[in-house]
Amino acid sequence: MKVAVVGKGGSGKTTTAAVLARTLARQGVTTLALDCDTNPNLGLSLGFGEERTEGLLAVRDAVDEGEEEHPSTAAELIERFGIDGPDGVRFAVVSAIQNPEPGCP
Amino acid sequence: MRVAFVGKGGAGKSSIAGVFARLVARNGGSVVALDSDPMPGLAYSLGVPSTDAGLPDEAVEEYEDSEGRRRYRLPAGMDAASTVERYATVSPDGVRLLQLGKARGAKGENWRSHQAYQLLVDGLSDGDWSVVGDLPGGTRQPFFGWGRFAQTVFVVAEPTPASMLSARRLARLAEHSTAPRVVAIASKTRAPSDAALIEERTGLHVVAAVPYDDAQQEADRRGLALLDLDSDTPLVCAVSALVSSLTVEEPVR
Repeated sequence: MKVAVVGKGGSGKTTTAAVLARTLARQGVTTLALDCDTNPNLGLSLGFGEERTEGLLAVRDAVDEGEEEHPSTAAELIERFGIDGPDGVRFAVVSAIQNPEPGCP
Repeated sequence: MRVAFVGKGGAGKSSIAGVFARLVARNGGSVVALDSDPMPGLAYSLGVPSTDAGLPDEAVEEYEDSEGRRRYRLPAGMDAASTVERYATVSPDGVRLLQLGKARGAKGENWRSHQAYQLLVDGLSDGDWSVVGDLPGGTRQPFFGWGRFAQTVFVVAEPTPASMLSARRLARLAEHSTAPRVVAIASKTRAPSDAALIEERTGLHVVAAVPYDDAQQEADRRGLALLDLDSDTPLVCAVSALVSSLTVEEPVR
Protein backbone atom coordinates (compact mmCIF):
# COMPACT_ATOMS: atom_id res chain seq x y z
CA MET A 1 0.00 0.00 0.00
CA LYS A 2 1.28 3.48 -0.86
CA VAL A 3 -0.42 6.37 0.92
CA ALA A 4 0.12 10.14 0.63
CA VAL A 5 -1.26 12.57 3.21
CA VAL A 6 -2.04 16.08 1.92
CA GLY A 7 -3.97 19.11 3.15
CA LYS A 8 -3.82 22.70 4.32
CA GLY A 9 -1.06 23.86 6.66
CA GLY A 10 -1.80 23.08 10.27
CA SER A 11 -4.63 20.67 9.50
CA GLY A 12 -2.78 17.67 10.91
CA LYS A 13 -1.02 16.03 7.93
CA THR A 14 2.22 15.27 9.71
CA THR A 15 0.57 13.98 12.87
CA THR A 16 -1.77 11.76 10.85
CA ALA A 17 1.05 10.40 8.69
CA ALA A 18 3.19 9.59 11.72
CA VAL A 19 0.44 7.78 13.61
CA LEU A 20 -0.51 5.89 10.43
CA ALA A 21 3.09 4.82 9.83
CA ARG A 22 3.69 3.65 13.39
CA THR A 23 0.34 1.88 13.61
CA LEU A 24 1.06 -0.05 10.42
CA ALA A 25 4.54 -0.92 11.65
CA ARG A 26 3.12 -2.17 14.95
CA GLN A 27 0.86 -4.48 12.99
CA GLY A 28 3.90 -6.03 11.40
CA VAL A 29 3.82 -4.21 8.07
CA THR A 30 7.21 -3.15 6.73
CA THR A 31 6.72 0.60 6.66
CA LEU A 32 8.66 3.43 5.03
CA ALA A 33 7.78 6.97 6.07
CA LEU A 34 8.86 9.67 3.60
CA ASP A 35 8.83 13.35 4.50
CA CYS A 36 8.20 15.16 1.19
CA ASP A 37 7.75 18.60 2.77
CA THR A 38 10.55 21.07 2.03
CA ASN A 39 10.16 22.07 5.67
CA PRO A 40 10.35 18.56 7.05
CA ASN A 41 9.01 17.90 10.54
CA LEU A 42 7.74 14.33 10.24
CA GLY A 43 10.73 13.06 12.23
CA LEU A 44 9.45 14.90 15.30
CA SER A 45 6.02 13.26 15.06
CA LEU A 46 7.55 9.83 14.50
CA GLY A 47 9.56 10.25 17.69
CA PHE A 48 13.10 10.87 16.46
CA GLY A 49 13.57 14.02 18.53
CA GLU A 50 14.72 17.42 17.39
CA GLU A 51 18.41 16.78 16.93
CA ARG A 52 18.05 13.74 14.64
CA THR A 53 15.19 15.34 12.73
CA GLU A 54 17.20 18.47 12.10
CA GLY A 55 20.36 16.57 11.24
CA LEU A 56 18.93 13.96 8.90
CA LEU A 57 20.40 14.39 5.45
CA ALA A 58 17.83 14.81 2.73
CA VAL A 59 18.00 12.15 0.04
CA ARG A 60 17.75 14.67 -2.75
CA ASP A 61 20.47 16.93 -1.38
CA ALA A 62 22.79 13.98 -1.12
CA VAL A 63 22.09 12.98 -4.71
CA ASP A 64 22.51 16.57 -5.91
CA GLU A 65 25.86 16.84 -4.20
CA GLY A 66 27.07 13.85 -6.13
CA GLU A 67 27.47 11.55 -3.18
CA GLU A 68 25.88 8.98 -5.41
CA GLU A 69 28.16 8.52 -8.39
CA HIS A 70 25.86 6.10 -10.10
CA PRO A 71 22.09 6.12 -10.25
CA SER A 72 20.75 4.26 -7.25
CA THR A 73 17.70 2.13 -6.92
CA ALA A 74 15.01 3.29 -4.54
CA ALA A 75 15.92 0.46 -2.18
CA GLU A 76 19.58 1.53 -2.13
CA LEU A 77 18.67 5.14 -1.36
CA ILE A 78 16.37 4.10 1.46
CA GLU A 79 19.04 1.81 2.82
CA ARG A 80 21.69 4.48 2.70
CA PHE A 81 19.79 7.59 3.78
CA GLY A 82 16.93 6.18 5.82
CA ILE A 83 17.03 5.63 9.57
CA ASP A 84 15.11 3.21 11.74
CA GLY A 85 12.78 4.64 14.33
CA PRO A 86 10.26 3.67 17.00
CA ASP A 87 8.10 0.65 16.13
CA GLY A 88 10.54 -0.16 13.33
CA VAL A 89 9.41 2.55 10.91
CA ARG A 90 12.07 3.29 8.28
CA PHE A 91 12.25 7.03 7.70
CA ALA A 92 13.82 9.31 5.09
CA VAL A 93 13.57 12.99 4.19
CA VAL A 94 13.08 13.55 0.46
CA SER A 95 13.85 17.23 0.09
CA ALA A 96 14.67 19.97 2.56
CA ILE A 97 15.39 23.60 1.80
CA GLN A 98 18.42 24.45 3.87
CA ASN A 99 19.86 27.27 1.83
CA PRO A 100 18.33 29.90 -0.42
CA GLU A 101 18.32 28.83 -4.04
CA PRO A 102 16.26 30.01 -6.95
CA GLY A 103 13.64 27.87 -8.62
CA CYS A 104 11.31 25.22 -7.38
CA PRO A 105 12.49 22.34 -5.27
CA MET B 1 5.30 49.66 6.14
CA ARG B 2 5.95 46.54 4.12
CA VAL B 3 5.70 43.39 6.18
CA ALA B 4 5.49 39.68 5.40
CA PHE B 5 4.31 36.87 7.64
CA VAL B 6 6.06 33.51 7.32
CA GLY B 7 6.18 30.36 9.43
CA LYS B 8 5.10 26.77 9.66
CA GLY B 9 1.67 25.81 8.39
CA GLY B 10 -0.91 26.35 11.11
CA ALA B 11 1.29 28.67 13.17
CA GLY B 12 -1.23 31.49 12.86
CA LYS B 13 0.18 33.56 9.99
CA SER B 14 -3.14 34.28 8.29
CA SER B 15 -5.05 34.90 11.51
CA ILE B 16 -2.48 37.41 12.71
CA ALA B 17 -1.91 38.97 9.27
CA GLY B 18 -5.64 39.58 8.78
CA VAL B 19 -6.06 41.34 12.11
CA PHE B 20 -2.81 43.22 11.56
CA ALA B 21 -3.88 44.53 8.14
CA ARG B 22 -7.30 45.66 9.35
CA LEU B 23 -5.89 47.43 12.40
CA VAL B 24 -3.34 49.29 10.24
CA ALA B 25 -6.21 50.32 7.97
CA ARG B 26 -8.23 51.51 10.98
CA ASN B 27 -5.33 53.79 11.82
CA GLY B 28 -5.91 55.49 8.50
CA GLY B 29 -3.34 53.90 6.21
CA SER B 30 -3.98 52.59 2.70
CA VAL B 31 -3.34 48.89 3.05
CA VAL B 32 -2.98 46.19 0.45
CA ALA B 33 -3.01 42.65 1.76
CA LEU B 34 -1.29 40.06 -0.41
CA ASP B 35 -2.17 36.42 -0.15
CA SER B 36 0.45 34.39 -1.97
CA ASP B 37 -0.49 31.10 -0.35
CA PRO B 38 -1.95 28.65 -2.89
CA MET B 39 -4.33 27.49 -0.16
CA PRO B 40 -7.02 29.87 1.10
CA GLY B 41 -6.56 31.65 4.38
CA LEU B 42 -6.16 35.40 4.44
CA ALA B 43 -9.57 36.10 2.88
CA TYR B 44 -11.25 34.43 5.85
CA SER B 45 -9.28 36.35 8.44
CA LEU B 46 -9.96 39.64 6.64
CA GLY B 47 -13.64 38.84 6.43
CA VAL B 48 -14.15 38.74 2.65
CA PRO B 49 -15.48 35.89 0.52
CA SER B 50 -12.73 33.48 -0.46
CA THR B 51 -12.17 32.97 -4.17
CA ASP B 52 -9.74 31.06 -6.34
CA ALA B 53 -9.26 34.03 -8.62
CA GLY B 54 -5.96 35.77 -9.06
CA LEU B 55 -5.57 38.92 -11.11
CA PRO B 56 -7.21 38.60 -14.53
CA ASP B 57 -5.01 38.16 -17.59
CA GLU B 58 -5.91 41.62 -18.87
CA ALA B 59 -4.35 43.25 -15.80
CA VAL B 60 -1.06 43.15 -17.70
CA GLU B 61 -0.10 43.38 -21.34
CA GLU B 62 2.60 41.42 -23.04
CA TYR B 63 5.39 43.04 -25.05
CA GLU B 64 8.79 42.19 -26.40
CA ASP B 65 11.82 43.97 -25.06
CA SER B 66 14.63 45.19 -27.33
CA GLU B 67 16.19 41.74 -27.28
CA GLY B 68 12.98 40.02 -28.24
CA ARG B 69 12.21 38.61 -24.80
CA ARG B 70 8.63 38.31 -23.69
CA ARG B 71 7.87 40.84 -20.93
CA TYR B 72 4.82 42.15 -19.15
CA ARG B 73 3.78 45.64 -18.12
CA LEU B 74 0.73 47.41 -16.80
CA PRO B 75 -1.49 48.70 -19.63
CA ALA B 76 -1.24 52.38 -20.65
CA GLY B 77 -2.95 54.67 -18.18
CA MET B 78 -2.73 52.17 -15.32
CA ASP B 79 -0.28 52.21 -12.45
CA ALA B 80 0.07 49.89 -9.49
CA ALA B 81 -2.33 51.87 -7.31
CA SER B 82 -5.08 52.14 -9.93
CA THR B 83 -4.70 48.43 -10.70
CA VAL B 84 -5.17 47.63 -7.03
CA GLU B 85 -8.27 49.83 -6.92
CA ARG B 86 -9.72 48.09 -9.96
CA TYR B 87 -9.11 44.47 -9.03
CA ALA B 88 -8.73 44.17 -5.26
CA THR B 89 -11.46 42.88 -3.00
CA VAL B 90 -12.15 45.42 -0.25
CA SER B 91 -12.53 44.05 3.28
CA PRO B 92 -14.25 45.65 6.25
CA ASP B 93 -11.98 48.50 7.47
CA GLY B 94 -10.94 49.03 3.84
CA VAL B 95 -8.06 46.62 3.33
CA ARG B 96 -7.50 45.81 -0.37
CA LEU B 97 -6.96 42.10 -0.77
CA LEU B 98 -5.12 40.66 -3.74
CA GLN B 99 -4.79 36.94 -4.10
CA LEU B 100 -2.32 35.03 -6.11
CA GLY B 101 -4.31 32.59 -8.23
CA LYS B 102 -5.07 29.47 -6.28
CA ALA B 103 -4.32 25.92 -7.30
CA ARG B 104 -7.01 25.09 -9.84
CA GLY B 105 -5.91 21.67 -10.91
CA ALA B 106 -2.74 20.16 -12.26
CA LYS B 107 -2.57 22.40 -15.33
CA GLY B 108 -3.70 25.75 -13.96
CA GLU B 109 -2.29 28.53 -16.14
CA ASN B 110 -1.47 31.35 -13.77
CA TRP B 111 1.58 32.85 -15.40
CA ARG B 112 0.12 36.22 -16.48
CA SER B 113 -1.66 36.58 -13.20
CA HIS B 114 1.59 35.94 -11.35
CA GLN B 115 3.38 38.54 -13.47
CA ALA B 116 0.68 41.10 -12.68
CA TYR B 117 0.95 40.34 -8.99
CA GLN B 118 4.71 40.93 -8.97
CA LEU B 119 4.39 44.17 -10.97
CA LEU B 120 1.91 45.51 -8.44
CA VAL B 121 3.99 44.59 -5.44
CA ASP B 122 7.03 46.23 -6.99
CA GLY B 123 5.09 49.27 -8.17
CA LEU B 124 3.22 50.40 -5.06
CA SER B 125 4.99 53.38 -3.54
CA ASP B 126 6.24 53.02 -0.02
CA GLY B 127 4.92 56.30 1.26
CA ASP B 128 1.32 55.82 0.19
CA TRP B 129 0.73 52.15 0.80
CA SER B 130 1.29 49.68 3.55
CA VAL B 131 1.78 46.16 2.23
CA VAL B 132 0.94 43.15 4.38
CA GLY B 133 1.89 39.80 2.86
CA ASP B 134 0.72 36.40 4.01
CA LEU B 135 3.16 33.87 2.63
CA PRO B 136 2.71 30.12 2.28
CA GLY B 137 3.63 27.87 5.15
CA GLY B 138 7.04 26.28 5.31
CA THR B 139 10.30 27.28 3.72
CA ARG B 140 9.55 27.01 0.05
CA GLN B 141 8.65 30.53 -1.03
CA PRO B 142 9.41 33.16 1.57
CA PHE B 143 12.71 34.55 0.39
CA PHE B 144 12.67 33.38 -3.22
CA GLY B 145 10.50 36.02 -4.78
CA TRP B 146 7.10 36.55 -3.25
CA GLY B 147 8.51 37.92 -0.03
CA ARG B 148 11.08 40.23 -1.52
CA PHE B 149 8.95 43.34 -1.02
CA ALA B 150 9.17 43.02 2.75
CA GLN B 151 11.06 45.47 4.92
CA THR B 152 10.11 43.48 7.99
CA VAL B 153 9.66 39.71 8.01
CA PHE B 154 7.62 38.32 10.89
CA VAL B 155 8.45 34.68 11.55
CA VAL B 156 5.37 33.33 13.32
CA ALA B 157 6.21 30.51 15.70
CA GLU B 158 4.29 28.46 18.24
CA PRO B 159 6.11 27.21 21.34
CA THR B 160 6.32 23.69 19.88
CA PRO B 161 9.42 21.87 18.63
CA ALA B 162 8.07 21.57 15.06
CA SER B 163 7.11 25.23 14.84
CA MET B 164 10.38 26.43 16.36
CA LEU B 165 12.40 24.09 14.11
CA SER B 166 10.64 25.64 11.11
CA ALA B 167 11.36 29.11 12.48
CA ARG B 168 15.05 28.26 12.89
CA ARG B 169 15.19 27.17 9.25
CA LEU B 170 13.46 30.39 8.20
CA ALA B 171 15.83 32.45 10.33
CA ARG B 172 18.75 30.78 8.56
CA LEU B 173 17.26 31.43 5.13
CA ALA B 174 16.50 35.01 6.14
CA GLU B 175 20.18 35.74 6.64
CA HIS B 176 20.43 35.80 2.85
CA SER B 177 17.25 37.77 2.23
CA THR B 178 16.98 41.42 1.36
CA ALA B 179 14.70 42.22 4.31
CA PRO B 180 16.41 44.59 6.73
CA ARG B 181 14.53 43.22 9.71
CA VAL B 182 13.64 39.62 10.54
CA VAL B 183 11.89 39.12 13.88
CA ALA B 184 9.62 36.57 15.51
CA ILE B 185 6.05 36.66 16.70
CA ALA B 186 5.30 34.13 19.43
CA SER B 187 1.94 32.58 18.55
CA LYS B 188 -0.59 30.59 20.57
CA THR B 189 1.36 31.22 23.76
CA ARG B 190 -0.04 29.74 26.96
CA ALA B 191 2.64 30.63 29.48
CA PRO B 192 4.51 33.88 30.15
CA SER B 193 7.79 32.06 29.49
CA ASP B 194 6.79 31.01 25.94
CA ALA B 195 8.12 34.15 24.28
CA ALA B 196 11.52 33.72 25.93
CA LEU B 197 11.57 30.05 24.89
CA ILE B 198 10.89 30.96 21.26
CA GLU B 199 13.55 33.66 21.39
CA GLU B 200 16.06 31.18 22.76
CA ARG B 201 15.22 28.39 20.32
CA THR B 202 14.97 30.49 17.16
CA GLY B 203 17.65 33.07 17.80
CA LEU B 204 15.15 35.72 16.69
CA HIS B 205 14.01 38.72 18.67
CA VAL B 206 10.35 38.25 19.66
CA VAL B 207 8.44 41.49 19.03
CA ALA B 208 5.02 40.24 20.16
CA ALA B 209 3.53 37.38 22.14
CA VAL B 210 0.09 36.50 20.77
CA PRO B 211 -1.79 34.28 23.21
CA TYR B 212 -3.77 31.17 22.32
CA ASP B 213 -7.25 32.52 21.68
CA ASP B 214 -10.50 30.54 21.97
CA ALA B 215 -12.29 33.28 20.04
CA GLN B 216 -9.99 32.62 17.06
CA GLN B 217 -10.91 28.93 17.15
CA GLU B 218 -14.56 29.90 17.15
CA ALA B 219 -14.03 32.35 14.27
CA ASP B 220 -12.25 29.61 12.28
CA ARG B 221 -15.08 27.18 12.84
CA ARG B 222 -17.64 29.72 11.69
CA GLY B 223 -15.58 31.00 8.76
CA LEU B 224 -15.56 34.52 10.20
CA ALA B 225 -12.87 37.14 10.62
CA LEU B 226 -11.95 37.35 14.29
CA LEU B 227 -12.56 41.13 14.25
CA ASP B 228 -16.12 40.54 13.01
CA LEU B 229 -16.77 38.11 15.85
CA ASP B 230 -15.16 39.99 18.71
CA SER B 231 -12.83 43.00 18.75
CA ASP B 232 -11.71 42.51 22.33
CA THR B 233 -9.82 39.23 22.49
CA PRO B 234 -6.27 38.30 23.56
CA LEU B 235 -5.13 37.94 19.94
CA VAL B 236 -6.57 41.29 18.87
CA CYS B 237 -5.05 43.05 21.89
CA ALA B 238 -1.59 41.61 21.21
CA VAL B 239 -1.68 42.46 17.49
CA SER B 240 -3.01 45.92 18.28
CA ALA B 241 -0.03 46.56 20.56
CA LEU B 242 2.30 45.33 17.81
CA VAL B 243 0.74 47.66 15.24
CA SER B 244 1.07 50.60 17.65
CA SER B 245 4.72 49.86 18.33
CA LEU B 246 5.46 49.66 14.61
CA THR B 247 3.60 52.80 13.70
CA VAL B 248 5.61 54.66 16.31
CA GLU B 249 8.83 53.49 14.66
CA GLU B 250 7.59 53.71 11.08
CA PRO B 251 4.76 56.22 10.72
CA VAL B 252 2.01 55.39 8.24
CA ARG B 253 1.65 58.31 5.90
